[in-house]
Amino acid sequence: MNLETTFLGLRFQNPVLVASGTFGYGEENYEIMPFRLLGGLVTKTITVEPRAGNPPPRIVETDAGMLNSIGLANVGLEAFLRDKLPWIMEHAGESRIIVNFAGFSVEEYVRLGEILGRTPGIDALEVNLGCPNVHAGYVHFGADPGTVREVIAGVREKTDRPLIAKLTPNVTDIASLAEAAVRAGADALSLINTLPGMKIDVERRKPVLGMGFGGLSGPALRPVGVACVYKVYRHLRQAGKAVPLIGIGGITCGRDALEYIMAGADLVQVGTANFVHPQAALKVIEELAFFCRERKIEKISELVGAAHGE
Amino acid sequence: MIPVFRQAAVSRLEPVAENTFVLSYIDKECGAELEPGQFCMISPEPGLSDIFLPRPFSYYRLTEPDTVEIFFRIVGKATHWMATLNPGDRIRVFGPLGRGFTTRPDTTRAILVGGGIGLPPLVFLAGKLAELHKNLEIDLLYGETTGARVIDLSGVLPERVRCRMATEDGLIGHKGLVTELFSEIFDGLDSSPAVYTCGPKAMMAALAGMLNPAKVGLFEASLEENMACGIGICQGCAIPLKGEKVRYECCCTQGPVFNGFEIQWQ
Repeated sequence: MNLETTFLGLRFQNPVLVASGTFGYGEENYEIMPFRLLGGLVTKTITVEPRAGNPPPRIVETDAGMLNSIGLANVGLEAFLRDKLPWIMEHAGESRIIVNFAGFSVEEYVRLGEILGRTPGIDALEVNLGCPNVHAGYVHFGADPGTVREVIAGVREKTDRPLIAKLTPNVTDIASLAEAAVRAGADALSLINTLPGMKIDVERRKPVLGMGFGGLSGPALRPVGVACVYKVYRHLRQAGKAVPLIGIGGITCGRDALEYIMAGADLVQVGTANFVHPQAALKVIEELAFFCRERKIEKISELVGAAHGE
Repeated sequence: MIPVFRQAAVSRLEPVAENTFVLSYIDKECGAELEPGQFCMISPEPGLSDIFLPRPFSYYRLTEPDTVEIFFRIVGKATHWMATLNPGDRIRVFGPLGRGFTTRPDTTRAILVGGGIGLPPLVFLAGKLAELHKNLEIDLLYGETTGARVIDLSGVLPERVRCRMATEDGLIGHKGLVTELFSEIFDGLDSSPAVYTCGPKAMMAALAGMLNPAKVGLFEASLEENMACGIGICQGCAIPLKGEKVRYECCCTQGPVFNGFEIQWQ
Protein backbone atom coordinates (compact mmCIF):
# COMPACT_ATOMS: atom_id res chain seq x y z
CA MET A 1 0.00 0.00 0.00
CA ASN A 2 1.39 3.33 -1.02
CA LEU A 3 0.08 6.84 -0.43
CA GLU A 4 2.79 8.45 -2.54
CA THR A 5 1.46 10.56 -5.34
CA THR A 6 3.14 12.23 -8.28
CA PHE A 7 1.63 15.58 -9.10
CA LEU A 8 3.01 17.92 -11.76
CA GLY A 9 6.19 15.87 -11.78
CA LEU A 10 6.67 16.34 -8.04
CA ARG A 11 6.65 13.46 -5.57
CA PHE A 12 4.20 13.97 -2.69
CA GLN A 13 4.72 11.59 0.26
CA ASN A 14 0.94 11.45 0.66
CA PRO A 15 -1.96 13.21 -1.05
CA VAL A 16 -3.06 15.25 1.99
CA LEU A 17 -2.19 18.94 2.18
CA VAL A 18 -3.48 21.73 4.39
CA ALA A 19 -5.47 24.50 2.77
CA SER A 20 -4.48 28.13 2.56
CA GLY A 21 -5.54 30.19 5.58
CA THR A 22 -6.11 27.20 7.81
CA PHE A 23 -2.51 26.47 8.73
CA GLY A 24 -0.84 29.89 8.86
CA TYR A 25 2.81 29.77 7.83
CA GLY A 26 3.37 26.32 9.35
CA GLU A 27 5.15 27.64 12.43
CA GLU A 28 2.19 28.58 14.63
CA ASN A 29 1.39 24.99 15.55
CA TYR A 30 4.56 23.19 14.50
CA GLU A 31 5.06 21.69 17.96
CA ILE A 32 1.56 20.25 17.95
CA MET A 33 1.28 19.33 14.28
CA PRO A 34 4.54 19.35 12.28
CA PHE A 35 3.61 19.91 8.66
CA ARG A 36 6.58 17.84 7.45
CA LEU A 37 4.28 14.80 7.95
CA LEU A 38 1.88 16.10 5.32
CA GLY A 39 1.90 15.90 1.57
CA GLY A 40 2.33 19.65 1.55
CA LEU A 41 1.69 23.00 3.16
CA VAL A 42 -0.25 25.68 1.33
CA THR A 43 0.59 29.01 2.93
CA LYS A 44 -1.82 31.69 3.95
CA THR A 45 -2.61 33.95 0.98
CA ILE A 46 0.24 36.40 0.39
CA THR A 47 -0.50 39.88 -0.99
CA VAL A 48 1.93 42.56 -2.18
CA GLU A 49 1.40 44.74 0.90
CA PRO A 50 0.84 43.54 4.47
CA ARG A 51 -2.84 43.49 5.42
CA ALA A 52 -4.35 44.02 8.89
CA GLY A 53 -7.58 42.30 7.89
CA ASN A 54 -11.25 43.01 8.54
CA PRO A 55 -12.92 44.37 11.70
CA PRO A 56 -14.20 41.70 14.10
CA PRO A 57 -16.19 39.58 14.54
CA ARG A 58 -14.44 37.71 11.74
CA ILE A 59 -15.80 34.25 12.31
CA VAL A 60 -18.97 32.57 13.47
CA GLU A 61 -20.09 28.97 13.62
CA THR A 62 -22.93 27.80 11.39
CA ASP A 63 -24.52 24.36 11.02
CA ALA A 64 -21.73 21.93 10.10
CA GLY A 65 -19.31 24.71 9.33
CA MET A 66 -18.36 28.30 9.84
CA LEU A 67 -18.30 31.68 8.16
CA ASN A 68 -15.11 33.70 7.99
CA SER A 69 -14.31 37.19 6.87
CA ILE A 70 -10.64 37.50 7.78
CA GLY A 71 -9.89 39.93 4.95
CA LEU A 72 -6.68 38.24 3.76
CA ALA A 73 -4.76 39.37 6.83
CA ASN A 74 -1.12 38.51 6.10
CA VAL A 75 2.43 39.77 6.56
CA GLY A 76 2.86 40.86 2.91
CA LEU A 77 5.32 39.63 0.28
CA GLU A 78 8.50 41.19 1.64
CA ALA A 79 8.09 39.92 5.21
CA PHE A 80 6.96 36.54 3.91
CA LEU A 81 10.14 36.07 1.90
CA ARG A 82 12.35 37.41 4.69
CA ASP A 83 10.73 35.99 7.87
CA LYS A 84 8.46 33.10 6.96
CA LEU A 85 9.68 31.20 3.90
CA PRO A 86 13.20 30.38 5.22
CA TRP A 87 11.66 28.83 8.34
CA ILE A 88 9.16 26.85 6.28
CA MET A 89 11.94 25.53 4.01
CA GLU A 90 14.05 24.53 6.98
CA HIS A 91 11.23 22.52 8.56
CA ALA A 92 9.50 21.05 5.51
CA GLY A 93 11.34 17.72 5.32
CA GLU A 94 9.75 15.86 2.39
CA SER A 95 6.61 17.96 2.56
CA ARG A 96 5.95 20.20 -0.46
CA ILE A 97 5.73 23.96 -0.13
CA ILE A 98 2.97 25.67 -2.08
CA VAL A 99 2.64 29.43 -1.81
CA ASN A 100 -0.84 30.88 -2.25
CA PHE A 101 -1.11 34.49 -3.40
CA ALA A 102 -3.67 37.07 -4.48
CA GLY A 103 -3.66 40.53 -6.04
CA PHE A 104 -6.15 43.36 -6.17
CA SER A 105 -5.27 43.99 -9.83
CA VAL A 106 -3.94 41.87 -12.69
CA GLU A 107 -0.61 43.70 -12.33
CA GLU A 108 -0.33 42.67 -8.67
CA TYR A 109 -1.00 39.03 -9.52
CA VAL A 110 1.64 39.11 -12.25
CA ARG A 111 4.19 40.81 -10.02
CA LEU A 112 3.63 38.32 -7.18
CA GLY A 113 3.80 35.41 -9.62
CA GLU A 114 7.05 36.68 -11.08
CA ILE A 115 8.78 37.21 -7.72
CA LEU A 116 7.50 34.04 -6.04
CA GLY A 117 8.14 32.12 -9.27
CA ARG A 118 11.86 32.83 -9.13
CA THR A 119 12.23 32.36 -5.37
CA PRO A 120 14.05 29.11 -4.60
CA GLY A 121 12.37 26.61 -2.27
CA ILE A 122 8.80 27.05 -3.49
CA ASP A 123 7.52 23.85 -5.15
CA ALA A 124 4.37 25.33 -6.68
CA LEU A 125 2.25 28.47 -6.77
CA GLU A 126 -1.46 28.52 -6.00
CA VAL A 127 -3.31 31.54 -7.36
CA ASN A 128 -6.23 32.63 -5.17
CA LEU A 129 -8.77 33.96 -7.68
CA GLY A 130 -11.29 34.81 -4.95
CA CYS A 131 -9.98 38.34 -4.56
CA PRO A 132 -12.01 41.44 -5.52
CA ASN A 133 -10.79 43.39 -8.56
CA VAL A 134 -10.49 46.99 -7.39
CA HIS A 135 -10.39 48.18 -11.01
CA ALA A 136 -13.61 46.43 -12.05
CA GLY A 137 -16.32 47.00 -9.48
CA TYR A 138 -14.81 44.65 -6.92
CA VAL A 139 -16.05 41.59 -8.82
CA HIS A 140 -13.93 38.54 -7.98
CA PHE A 141 -11.26 37.73 -10.56
CA GLY A 142 -12.47 34.14 -10.49
CA ALA A 143 -16.02 35.05 -11.48
CA ASP A 144 -15.26 35.85 -15.11
CA PRO A 145 -13.42 33.69 -17.67
CA GLY A 146 -11.84 36.82 -19.15
CA THR A 147 -10.16 37.95 -15.93
CA VAL A 148 -9.21 34.36 -15.07
CA ARG A 149 -7.46 34.17 -18.43
CA GLU A 150 -5.76 37.53 -17.95
CA VAL A 151 -4.43 36.69 -14.48
CA ILE A 152 -3.29 33.15 -15.26
CA ALA A 153 -1.75 34.01 -18.64
CA GLY A 154 0.02 37.01 -17.09
CA VAL A 155 1.55 34.92 -14.31
CA ARG A 156 2.32 32.03 -16.68
CA GLU A 157 4.35 34.31 -18.90
CA LYS A 158 6.61 35.19 -15.97
CA THR A 159 7.31 31.78 -14.46
CA ASP A 160 7.80 28.11 -15.27
CA ARG A 161 7.02 27.06 -11.68
CA PRO A 162 4.07 24.64 -11.41
CA LEU A 163 1.02 26.90 -11.41
CA ILE A 164 -2.25 25.96 -9.70
CA ALA A 165 -5.39 28.08 -10.12
CA LYS A 166 -7.70 27.99 -7.08
CA LEU A 167 -11.24 28.49 -8.33
CA THR A 168 -14.23 29.95 -6.57
CA PRO A 169 -17.54 28.05 -6.74
CA ASN A 170 -19.55 31.29 -6.89
CA VAL A 171 -20.07 31.08 -10.64
CA THR A 172 -22.73 29.85 -13.02
CA ASP A 173 -20.56 27.21 -14.66
CA ILE A 174 -17.34 26.27 -12.93
CA ALA A 175 -16.34 23.99 -15.82
CA SER A 176 -15.99 26.90 -18.23
CA LEU A 177 -13.84 28.83 -15.72
CA ALA A 178 -11.72 25.73 -15.19
CA GLU A 179 -11.21 25.45 -18.93
CA ALA A 180 -10.33 29.16 -19.18
CA ALA A 181 -7.67 28.73 -16.47
CA VAL A 182 -6.18 25.67 -18.17
CA ARG A 183 -6.16 27.27 -21.63
CA ALA A 184 -4.39 30.29 -20.11
CA GLY A 185 -1.62 28.05 -18.81
CA ALA A 186 -2.60 26.69 -15.38
CA ASP A 187 -0.90 23.34 -14.74
CA ALA A 188 -3.48 22.24 -12.19
CA LEU A 189 -6.64 23.43 -10.44
CA SER A 190 -7.68 23.64 -6.78
CA LEU A 191 -11.43 23.26 -6.21
CA ILE A 192 -13.06 24.93 -4.28
CA ASN A 193 -12.81 28.17 -2.30
CA THR A 194 -15.57 29.18 0.16
CA LEU A 195 -19.18 30.06 -0.67
CA PRO A 196 -20.54 33.47 0.39
CA GLY A 197 -22.84 33.37 3.40
CA MET A 198 -24.34 35.42 6.20
CA LYS A 199 -25.58 34.86 9.73
CA ILE A 200 -27.89 37.37 11.37
CA ASP A 201 -28.07 37.99 15.10
CA VAL A 202 -31.83 38.19 15.61
CA GLU A 203 -31.51 39.89 19.01
CA ARG A 204 -29.34 42.70 17.65
CA ARG A 205 -31.07 42.66 14.24
CA LYS A 206 -27.86 42.79 12.27
CA PRO A 207 -25.32 40.47 10.66
CA VAL A 208 -22.98 38.79 13.15
CA LEU A 209 -19.81 39.35 11.13
CA GLY A 210 -18.16 42.76 11.12
CA MET A 211 -18.26 42.85 7.32
CA GLY A 212 -21.70 41.26 7.06
CA PHE A 213 -20.80 38.56 4.55
CA GLY A 214 -18.37 35.73 5.11
CA GLY A 215 -17.07 32.63 3.35
CA LEU A 216 -18.77 29.37 4.27
CA SER A 217 -16.43 26.45 4.94
CA GLY A 218 -16.52 23.12 6.71
CA PRO A 219 -18.53 19.93 6.15
CA ALA A 220 -21.56 21.92 4.95
CA LEU A 221 -19.53 22.79 1.85
CA ARG A 222 -18.36 19.27 1.01
CA PRO A 223 -21.10 18.14 -1.40
CA VAL A 224 -20.62 21.37 -3.36
CA GLY A 225 -16.87 20.81 -3.60
CA VAL A 226 -17.19 17.16 -4.58
CA ALA A 227 -19.70 18.09 -7.31
CA CYS A 228 -17.35 20.78 -8.66
CA VAL A 229 -14.40 18.39 -8.82
CA TYR A 230 -16.54 15.72 -10.50
CA LYS A 231 -17.89 18.17 -13.05
CA VAL A 232 -14.54 19.79 -13.87
CA TYR A 233 -12.74 16.43 -14.12
CA ARG A 234 -15.31 15.21 -16.65
CA HIS A 235 -15.44 18.46 -18.60
CA LEU A 236 -11.68 18.84 -18.99
CA ARG A 237 -11.29 15.27 -20.22
CA GLN A 238 -14.04 15.76 -22.77
CA ALA A 239 -12.39 19.01 -23.88
CA GLY A 240 -9.05 17.24 -24.22
CA LYS A 241 -7.58 19.59 -21.61
CA ALA A 242 -7.26 17.30 -18.57
CA VAL A 243 -5.00 18.59 -15.76
CA PRO A 244 -4.52 17.27 -12.23
CA LEU A 245 -7.01 18.53 -9.63
CA ILE A 246 -6.84 19.27 -5.90
CA GLY A 247 -10.05 18.73 -3.92
CA ILE A 248 -10.89 21.15 -1.09
CA GLY A 249 -13.99 21.72 0.99
CA GLY A 250 -15.19 20.17 4.24
CA ILE A 251 -12.73 17.27 4.49
CA THR A 252 -12.59 15.95 8.06
CA CYS A 253 -11.77 12.26 7.65
CA GLY A 254 -10.38 9.68 5.23
CA ARG A 255 -13.75 8.92 3.64
CA ASP A 256 -14.31 12.61 2.89
CA ALA A 257 -10.93 12.73 1.14
CA LEU A 258 -11.83 9.59 -0.81
CA GLU A 259 -14.98 11.25 -2.14
CA TYR A 260 -12.83 13.97 -3.67
CA ILE A 261 -10.25 11.50 -4.97
CA MET A 262 -12.92 9.35 -6.58
CA ALA A 263 -14.52 12.46 -8.08
CA GLY A 264 -11.19 13.13 -9.80
CA ALA A 265 -8.77 14.83 -7.38
CA ASP A 266 -5.13 13.70 -7.25
CA LEU A 267 -4.52 15.61 -4.01
CA VAL A 268 -6.77 16.98 -1.29
CA GLN A 269 -6.47 19.87 1.13
CA VAL A 270 -7.80 19.77 4.69
CA GLY A 271 -9.02 23.22 5.76
CA THR A 272 -11.48 24.16 8.45
CA ALA A 273 -11.06 20.78 10.18
CA ASN A 274 -7.62 22.02 11.30
CA PHE A 275 -9.45 24.44 13.61
CA VAL A 276 -11.58 21.71 15.14
CA HIS A 277 -8.62 19.41 15.82
CA PRO A 278 -5.05 20.56 15.19
CA GLN A 279 -4.08 17.07 14.00
CA ALA A 280 -7.08 16.58 11.72
CA ALA A 281 -4.92 16.17 8.61
CA LEU A 282 -2.94 13.32 10.23
CA LYS A 283 -6.19 11.50 10.91
CA VAL A 284 -7.13 11.87 7.24
CA ILE A 285 -3.79 10.35 6.21
CA GLU A 286 -4.14 7.44 8.64
CA GLU A 287 -7.67 6.70 7.49
CA LEU A 288 -6.69 6.78 3.82
CA ALA A 289 -3.92 4.29 4.55
CA PHE A 290 -6.32 2.07 6.50
CA PHE A 291 -8.91 2.15 3.70
CA CYS A 292 -6.32 1.15 1.11
CA ARG A 293 -4.81 -1.59 3.28
CA GLU A 294 -8.21 -3.11 4.04
CA ARG A 295 -9.14 -3.24 0.38
CA LYS A 296 -5.70 -4.22 -0.86
CA ILE A 297 -5.38 -1.09 -2.99
CA GLU A 298 -1.70 -0.82 -3.82
CA LYS A 299 -1.53 2.79 -4.90
CA ILE A 300 -4.00 5.45 -3.89
CA SER A 301 -3.65 7.01 -7.33
CA GLU A 302 -5.64 4.02 -8.67
CA LEU A 303 -8.72 5.58 -7.09
CA VAL A 304 -8.46 8.98 -8.80
CA GLY A 305 -11.64 9.52 -10.81
CA ALA A 306 -13.00 6.07 -9.84
CA ALA A 307 -16.54 7.46 -9.39
CA HIS A 308 -16.74 8.22 -13.10
CA GLY A 309 -16.89 4.50 -13.81
CA GLU A 310 -14.54 4.56 -16.74
CA MET B 1 4.06 24.81 28.11
CA ILE B 2 3.04 23.39 24.74
CA PRO B 3 -0.74 23.07 24.50
CA VAL B 4 -2.11 19.55 24.31
CA PHE B 5 -5.32 18.33 22.70
CA ARG B 6 -6.77 15.55 24.80
CA GLN B 7 -9.80 13.75 26.11
CA ALA B 8 -10.72 14.55 29.68
CA ALA B 9 -13.29 13.13 32.08
CA VAL B 10 -15.85 15.42 33.69
CA SER B 11 -15.67 15.05 37.45
CA ARG B 12 -18.44 17.45 38.48
CA LEU B 13 -20.97 19.94 37.14
CA GLU B 14 -22.31 22.28 39.77
CA PRO B 15 -24.98 24.96 39.28
CA VAL B 16 -23.73 28.07 41.09
CA ALA B 17 -26.16 30.81 39.98
CA GLU B 18 -28.89 31.43 37.42
CA ASN B 19 -27.87 29.52 34.25
CA THR B 20 -24.32 29.48 35.58
CA PHE B 21 -22.23 26.39 36.27
CA VAL B 22 -18.80 25.29 37.40
CA LEU B 23 -17.48 22.37 35.35
CA SER B 24 -14.63 20.29 36.76
CA TYR B 25 -12.51 17.91 34.75
CA ILE B 26 -9.43 15.83 35.39
CA ASP B 27 -6.23 16.90 33.68
CA LYS B 28 -3.32 14.96 35.14
CA GLU B 29 -0.69 16.38 32.82
CA CYS B 30 -0.96 20.13 32.88
CA GLY B 31 -3.13 21.08 35.83
CA ALA B 32 -0.41 22.56 38.05
CA GLU B 33 1.17 24.60 35.26
CA LEU B 34 -1.80 26.72 34.32
CA GLU B 35 -1.54 30.48 34.67
CA PRO B 36 -4.40 32.81 35.58
CA GLY B 37 -5.78 34.35 32.39
CA GLN B 38 -4.90 31.39 30.20
CA PHE B 39 -7.72 29.44 28.61
CA CYS B 40 -8.66 26.14 27.05
CA MET B 41 -10.87 25.18 24.10
CA ILE B 42 -13.62 22.71 24.93
CA SER B 43 -15.51 20.58 22.42
CA PRO B 44 -17.64 17.43 22.44
CA GLU B 45 -16.47 14.06 21.24
CA PRO B 46 -17.31 13.82 17.53
CA GLY B 47 -20.80 12.56 16.81
CA LEU B 48 -22.20 13.41 20.24
CA SER B 49 -23.34 16.91 19.40
CA ASP B 50 -23.79 19.17 16.41
CA ILE B 51 -21.36 21.71 17.84
CA PHE B 52 -18.69 22.22 15.20
CA LEU B 53 -15.99 24.50 16.61
CA PRO B 54 -14.37 24.27 20.05
CA ARG B 55 -15.24 27.10 22.50
CA PRO B 56 -12.76 29.06 24.61
CA PHE B 57 -13.05 29.21 28.44
CA SER B 58 -10.60 30.75 30.85
CA TYR B 59 -9.48 28.67 33.79
CA TYR B 60 -11.35 29.37 37.03
CA ARG B 61 -9.61 27.31 39.69
CA LEU B 62 -7.37 24.35 40.34
CA THR B 63 -8.96 22.50 43.23
CA GLU B 64 -6.53 19.58 43.24
CA PRO B 65 -3.28 19.35 41.32
CA ASP B 66 -5.17 17.48 38.61
CA THR B 67 -8.65 18.98 38.76
CA VAL B 68 -9.34 21.99 36.61
CA GLU B 69 -12.47 24.10 36.98
CA ILE B 70 -14.03 26.35 34.42
CA PHE B 71 -17.04 28.53 34.87
CA PHE B 72 -19.72 29.13 32.24
CA ARG B 73 -23.13 30.63 31.69
CA ILE B 74 -25.64 29.25 29.17
CA VAL B 75 -25.70 31.61 26.19
CA GLY B 76 -25.86 29.34 23.13
CA LYS B 77 -25.61 25.88 21.65
CA ALA B 78 -22.27 24.87 23.15
CA THR B 79 -23.00 26.03 26.69
CA HIS B 80 -26.41 24.29 26.49
CA TRP B 81 -24.55 21.07 25.70
CA MET B 82 -22.08 21.66 28.52
CA ALA B 83 -24.92 22.10 31.01
CA THR B 84 -26.08 18.54 30.22
CA LEU B 85 -22.74 16.89 31.06
CA ASN B 86 -22.52 14.29 33.82
CA PRO B 87 -19.59 13.05 35.89
CA GLY B 88 -17.64 10.53 33.86
CA ASP B 89 -18.60 12.05 30.51
CA ARG B 90 -15.73 12.62 28.10
CA ILE B 91 -14.99 16.02 26.65
CA ARG B 92 -12.16 17.26 24.43
CA VAL B 93 -9.90 19.89 25.92
CA PHE B 94 -7.14 21.83 24.15
CA GLY B 95 -4.83 23.89 26.32
CA PRO B 96 -3.32 25.70 28.04
CA LEU B 97 -3.61 28.52 25.50
CA GLY B 98 -2.79 32.22 25.44
CA ARG B 99 -0.90 34.58 27.69
CA GLY B 100 -2.03 35.08 31.26
CA PHE B 101 -1.90 37.98 33.70
CA THR B 102 1.32 39.42 35.16
CA THR B 103 1.43 37.75 38.54
CA ARG B 104 4.41 39.74 39.84
CA PRO B 105 3.26 43.36 39.70
CA ASP B 106 5.68 45.98 40.98
CA THR B 107 3.04 47.51 43.26
CA THR B 108 1.79 47.21 46.83
CA ARG B 109 -1.87 47.04 45.85
CA ALA B 110 -3.84 45.12 43.26
CA ILE B 111 -7.42 45.90 42.28
CA LEU B 112 -9.27 43.26 40.28
CA VAL B 113 -12.44 44.39 38.53
CA GLY B 114 -14.71 41.64 37.21
CA GLY B 115 -18.09 41.80 35.56
CA GLY B 116 -20.50 38.92 34.94
CA ILE B 117 -18.96 35.92 33.27
CA GLY B 118 -15.60 37.73 33.27
CA LEU B 119 -15.12 36.75 36.91
CA PRO B 120 -13.36 33.34 36.57
CA PRO B 121 -9.82 34.37 35.57
CA LEU B 122 -9.82 37.07 38.28
CA VAL B 123 -10.67 34.55 41.01
CA PHE B 124 -7.78 32.40 39.75
CA LEU B 125 -5.54 35.50 39.71
CA ALA B 126 -6.57 36.64 43.21
CA GLY B 127 -5.58 33.25 44.58
CA LYS B 128 -2.25 33.30 42.77
CA LEU B 129 -1.41 36.86 43.85
CA ALA B 130 -2.22 36.00 47.48
CA GLU B 131 0.02 32.93 47.24
CA LEU B 132 2.96 34.80 45.67
CA HIS B 133 2.93 38.09 47.64
CA LYS B 134 2.67 38.25 51.41
CA ASN B 135 2.30 42.03 51.56
CA LEU B 136 0.21 42.83 48.49
CA GLU B 137 -3.19 44.31 49.30
CA ILE B 138 -5.75 42.68 47.02
CA ASP B 139 -9.28 43.92 46.26
CA LEU B 140 -11.68 41.99 44.07
CA LEU B 141 -14.63 44.03 42.84
CA TYR B 142 -17.36 41.95 41.26
CA GLY B 143 -20.31 43.34 39.34
CA GLU B 144 -23.45 41.64 38.04
CA THR B 145 -26.68 42.78 36.46
CA THR B 146 -28.83 40.98 39.01
CA GLY B 147 -28.33 39.33 42.39
CA ALA B 148 -29.68 36.06 40.94
CA ARG B 149 -26.53 35.75 38.89
CA VAL B 150 -24.04 36.43 41.67
CA ILE B 151 -22.07 33.41 42.74
CA ASP B 152 -21.07 32.83 46.33
CA LEU B 153 -17.32 33.32 46.59
CA SER B 154 -17.01 32.41 50.28
CA GLY B 155 -14.53 29.61 50.63
CA VAL B 156 -13.30 30.27 47.10
CA LEU B 157 -11.11 33.33 47.72
CA PRO B 158 -8.21 33.51 50.18
CA GLU B 159 -9.29 35.35 53.34
CA ARG B 160 -7.05 38.35 52.79
CA VAL B 161 -8.63 39.17 49.43
CA ARG B 162 -11.19 41.91 50.10
CA CYS B 163 -14.23 41.24 47.95
CA ARG B 164 -16.95 43.80 47.26
CA MET B 165 -19.96 43.36 45.04
CA ALA B 166 -22.20 45.58 42.98
CA THR B 167 -25.48 44.60 41.34
CA GLU B 168 -27.54 46.79 39.08
CA ASP B 169 -30.77 45.66 40.79
CA GLY B 170 -29.21 46.19 44.23
CA LEU B 171 -30.11 42.69 45.49
CA ILE B 172 -26.54 42.09 46.62
CA GLY B 173 -23.90 44.65 47.57
CA HIS B 174 -23.69 48.15 46.16
CA LYS B 175 -26.67 49.12 43.97
CA GLY B 176 -25.10 50.26 40.73
CA LEU B 177 -22.07 49.56 38.64
CA VAL B 178 -18.84 47.92 39.68
CA THR B 179 -16.91 50.85 38.20
CA GLU B 180 -18.49 53.05 40.90
CA LEU B 181 -16.98 50.77 43.55
CA PHE B 182 -13.66 51.08 41.75
CA SER B 183 -13.81 54.89 41.87
CA GLU B 184 -14.43 54.83 45.61
CA ILE B 185 -11.23 52.90 46.22
CA PHE B 186 -9.09 54.31 43.43
CA ASP B 187 -9.79 58.01 44.02
CA GLY B 188 -8.54 57.78 47.61
CA LEU B 189 -5.27 56.04 46.80
CA ASP B 190 -1.92 57.76 47.01
CA SER B 191 0.06 54.87 45.50
CA SER B 192 -0.19 53.42 41.99
CA PRO B 193 -2.04 50.10 42.02
CA ALA B 194 -2.01 47.24 39.54
CA VAL B 195 -5.44 47.07 37.92
CA TYR B 196 -6.71 43.86 36.34
CA THR B 197 -10.04 43.46 34.61
CA CYS B 198 -12.24 41.00 32.76
CA GLY B 199 -15.88 41.46 31.89
CA PRO B 200 -18.25 43.12 29.44
CA LYS B 201 -16.47 45.37 26.95
CA ALA B 202 -18.47 48.44 28.06
CA MET B 203 -17.36 47.90 31.64
CA MET B 204 -13.71 47.51 30.70
CA ALA B 205 -13.86 50.51 28.38
CA ALA B 206 -15.36 52.63 31.18
CA LEU B 207 -12.58 51.48 33.48
CA ALA B 208 -9.93 52.30 30.89
CA GLY B 209 -11.42 55.80 30.62
CA MET B 210 -10.93 56.30 34.38
CA LEU B 211 -7.25 55.37 34.36
CA ASN B 212 -4.24 57.54 33.71
CA PRO B 213 -1.18 55.50 32.70
CA ALA B 214 1.03 57.68 34.91
CA LYS B 215 -1.00 56.81 38.00
CA VAL B 216 -1.34 53.07 37.51
CA GLY B 217 1.46 50.54 37.92
CA LEU B 218 -0.15 48.08 35.54
CA PHE B 219 -3.45 47.80 33.69
CA GLU B 220 -4.27 44.42 32.21
CA ALA B 221 -7.52 43.39 30.58
CA SER B 222 -8.59 39.90 29.51
CA LEU B 223 -10.58 40.07 26.29
CA GLU B 224 -12.86 37.79 24.34
CA GLU B 225 -13.65 37.40 20.64
CA ASN B 226 -15.17 34.72 18.43
CA MET B 227 -12.41 32.17 17.95
CA ALA B 228 -11.90 29.03 15.89
CA CYS B 229 -8.42 27.56 16.35
CA GLY B 230 -7.06 29.06 19.60
CA ILE B 231 -3.47 29.06 18.29
CA GLY B 232 -3.15 32.03 15.95
CA ILE B 233 -3.81 30.27 12.68
CA CYS B 234 -7.30 31.30 11.66
CA GLN B 235 -6.75 34.99 12.52
CA GLY B 236 -10.41 35.09 13.50
CA CYS B 237 -10.19 36.61 16.99
CA ALA B 238 -8.88 40.04 16.01
CA ILE B 239 -8.58 42.64 18.78
CA PRO B 240 -8.20 46.25 17.55
CA LEU B 241 -5.25 48.11 19.05
CA LYS B 242 -4.59 51.84 19.26
CA GLY B 243 -2.32 53.38 16.65
CA GLU B 244 -2.24 55.59 13.61
CA LYS B 245 -2.96 52.66 11.30
CA VAL B 246 -5.63 50.00 11.81
CA ARG B 247 -3.94 47.23 13.70
CA TYR B 248 -5.15 43.94 15.17
CA GLU B 249 -3.67 41.25 17.38
CA CYS B 250 -5.03 37.74 17.85
CA CYS B 251 -6.87 37.39 21.13
CA CYS B 252 -5.77 33.74 21.36
CA THR B 253 -2.00 34.14 21.11
CA GLN B 254 -1.17 37.79 21.85
CA GLY B 255 -3.88 37.75 24.55
CA PRO B 256 -6.37 37.07 25.91
CA VAL B 257 -4.67 39.33 28.47
CA PHE B 258 -3.58 42.64 26.93
CA ASN B 259 -2.12 45.88 28.22
CA GLY B 260 -5.41 47.72 28.71
CA PHE B 261 -3.88 51.02 27.61
CA GLU B 262 -3.12 49.60 24.15
CA ILE B 263 -6.64 48.45 23.35
CA GLN B 264 -8.81 50.47 20.97
CA TRP B 265 -11.89 50.33 23.18
CA GLN B 266 -14.32 52.21 20.92
